[in-house]
Amino acid sequence: MPALKPLPATSGIFTGGQQIPKTIKVSHVNHYFGDGELRKQALHDNRREVKRGEIVIMTGPSGSGKTTLLTLIGTLRTVQEGSLKVLGRELHGASRDQIVELRRELGFIFQAHNLFESLTAYQNVNRAAELAGMDRGLARQRIEMLLTRLGLGQRIHYKPKSLSGGQKQRVAIARGLVHQPKLVLADEPTAALDEQSGREVVTLFQELARDEGCTIVMVTHDNRILDVADRIVNMVDGHIRSDVAVHETSVICEFLRQFPLFADLQTSTLTEVADKMMVEEAEASDVIIRQGDPGELFYLIRSGEVDVVVEEGGRRRKVAELGPGQYFGEAALLRDEPRNATIIARTNCVFYTLGKADFKDVLARSKSFVEELRNVLASRT
Amino acid sequence: MKTPLAWKNIVHNKVRTAVGVAGVGFAVILIFMQMGFKGAVRKTATQIYDALDFDLMLRSPAYLHLTEPQSFPRQRVFEAASLPGVAKARPFYLGLSEWQRPQPADAPPGGWQGDWRGIIAMGVDPRDPPFVPTALRRESLRLTDARFVLIDNKSKPEFGPANGVRFGPQDVGVETILGSGRVRIVGVITLGTGLAANGACVANVEGFARACPWQAIDEVNFGLLSLASGVDPATAKREIQSLLGAPTTSSVPSAQPADVEVLTRAEVVEREEYRWVVETPLGQIFNFGVWVALFVGVAIVYQVLSADIANMMSEYATLKAMGYPNRYLAAVVLEQSVLLALVGYEPSLAVSWGLYLLVGGRSGLPMILTWQIAATVLALAVLMCALSGLAALRKLFQADPADLF
Repeated sequence: MPALKPLPATSGIFTGGQQIPKTIKVSHVNHYFGDGELRKQALHDNRREVKRGEIVIMTGPSGSGKTTLLTLIGTLRTVQEGSLKVLGRELHGASRDQIVELRRELGFIFQAHNLFESLTAYQNVNRAAELAGMDRGLARQRIEMLLTRLGLGQRIHYKPKSLSGGQKQRVAIARGLVHQPKLVLADEPTAALDEQSGREVVTLFQELARDEGCTIVMVTHDNRILDVADRIVNMVDGHIRSDVAVHETSVICEFLRQFPLFADLQTSTLTEVADKMMVEEAEASDVIIRQGDPGELFYLIRSGEVDVVVEEGGRRRKVAELGPGQYFGEAALLRDEPRNATIIARTNCVFYTLGKADFKDVLARSKSFVEELRNVLASRT
Repeated sequence: MKTPLAWKNIVHNKVRTAVGVAGVGFAVILIFMQMGFKGAVRKTATQIYDALDFDLMLRSPAYLHLTEPQSFPRQRVFEAASLPGVAKARPFYLGLSEWQRPQPADAPPGGWQGDWRGIIAMGVDPRDPPFVPTALRRESLRLTDARFVLIDNKSKPEFGPANGVRFGPQDVGVETILGSGRVRIVGVITLGTGLAANGACVANVEGFARACPWQAIDEVNFGLLSLASGVDPATAKREIQSLLGAPTTSSVPSAQPADVEVLTRAEVVEREEYRWVVETPLGQIFNFGVWVALFVGVAIVYQVLSADIANMMSEYATLKAMGYPNRYLAAVVLEQSVLLALVGYEPSLAVSWGLYLLVGGRSGLPMILTWQIAATVLALAVLMCALSGLAALRKLFQADPADLF
């Protein structure tokens, strides 16, 4: 196993064996604003990867650098330090022409609609299709499809003046999507929309991500649409505080809930536990833990199968087989005893591990929760 | 067909476009008027020559312009006539004289003190007047006496037509004083006056001598030569010049008295135009006026365009973010400025045409809207707007898509 820095389980690094190309690779990106004394670092050593077809939501307080990162990814700012690859192309040091070229494969949705007042909704959307050199017939179909999906079917040939704020924003969204961009960058796309049209927009995002492999990165504070995110990135003061694969986290939480001691934990606590877990990989026939060793980690099997072998009086006896979603290693941690069995990988495996200290901490919290609940119930009588 | 963004912008923002069109129109009309005046100067400078019948002209090398022609010995005209290629040689007299406004019928007896005006006086032989227009030739036949004159009806009202506006048949028979003697108007002609005087009249040679008594009759101002058919004017010119001697303007010393210069018709017209349009301040004023108008136009159109760009800054920035290159945006702005020029030009052309008629009618200047002027002004209007567009581009390139998020 290569000695890499351990990766968090919730990073979504585990993809079930399938390698999905990365739309965005951010490594060691620093960014500064201002010069000399006024120079202020806006991004600190940002590292991230975004896979094709992922919907990423970026959150964080204002001034946390999420918008800066978004403009860097969108080629709207020049990369100062580090490496930033978008659609396989390095942006650091890219020429003006390369950037103009790349921009045509991106879709932008800005907070302000920025529609040309002189053009109809159709013509505004068509600006993007024309630039991409789409066939006119195809472009027409797609523009009409998008505008109809977004509830503007009756207003395709209206000028912005005759549209409401939300309708203008939806035209701008259609403009960002019409040319089948490989990456959509959106800033509060649903802020100006009511619940129903906001939902329609994110559903459309999901379809594009699924059907066209379109990757979507959006900055939003709109809690109503957080559920569409495959990954939520939280930024604070120019640092990426957490980068969580939503689906993987929910898988981990589901698995953890199977463990009786964690069964009564709240989802928020389970998520915290998931955040603390690390990825560990093993090849077939590797020994994961050895009977008699001190116990340090709690293991959750993400994929693969293991054999549980107990040695009694010099005889090795296989007592069980464990598979995905099952766990081992808890007994030694609970009782501070040596390992009571040996675990051998039957196939190539991926585990999520939790350190002893964190494990005990969680248990303590679980107990206090139960006690507290008891106290509440007792005080009622 | 791509969406014609420039045209849509022009059509959409009607108020701003109207301001732009007004700006372009203002500048264009100004340019039209300046060019009209300049054209009038050019036309005025040569309109008397245009009415004269000649292929080659003899005149003094000291000639300045039409109304300061200087003179040379009449003998030279007859010498030139001796060459076989010359069919006709006619002396032509022209000078500035003074005209007294005729006494009105209702003036108190003895109270008329006279009211003198500078006038162009011409002297011709009535048996063979050197004029092209047949009406002029016909009227010239009346100049049988030194006291008879023909008055130009393009002369200003201050020369005293009976109806107070312009000379007409009712003025025939009116008597007044020209130069040193009494004259009677025997006919009315249409010729057009020069820039040095507001009126013109024609007399016979003796009449001219009375009008300009300081000039001896054997000193003429012009010799008008008509060539036999088939004779090349350039060749004839060389022959006559060598016969009469090179003009003093030549650096080569000549034994012959060099008191005459020979010019073809084209040279005469060209030099007269050059004199008035380039050498006198008159033409320069109008050239300068064109530049001023152009400058004003650039300033106005620049304001309109940059306001338009400032208004659509985030839209242009969005186009940049979408991957439209700077040159596309530049093309939109330049296209828009040229469209503004074209849209502003049409009504200005119509207004200028009306102004030409009005000013021409009022001032008597030959204001003519030629297609050359129309085309030149159109080119200048487009140039003007393109310059403004270029100036406004700087602003456009400041559109930064990074500000959009």
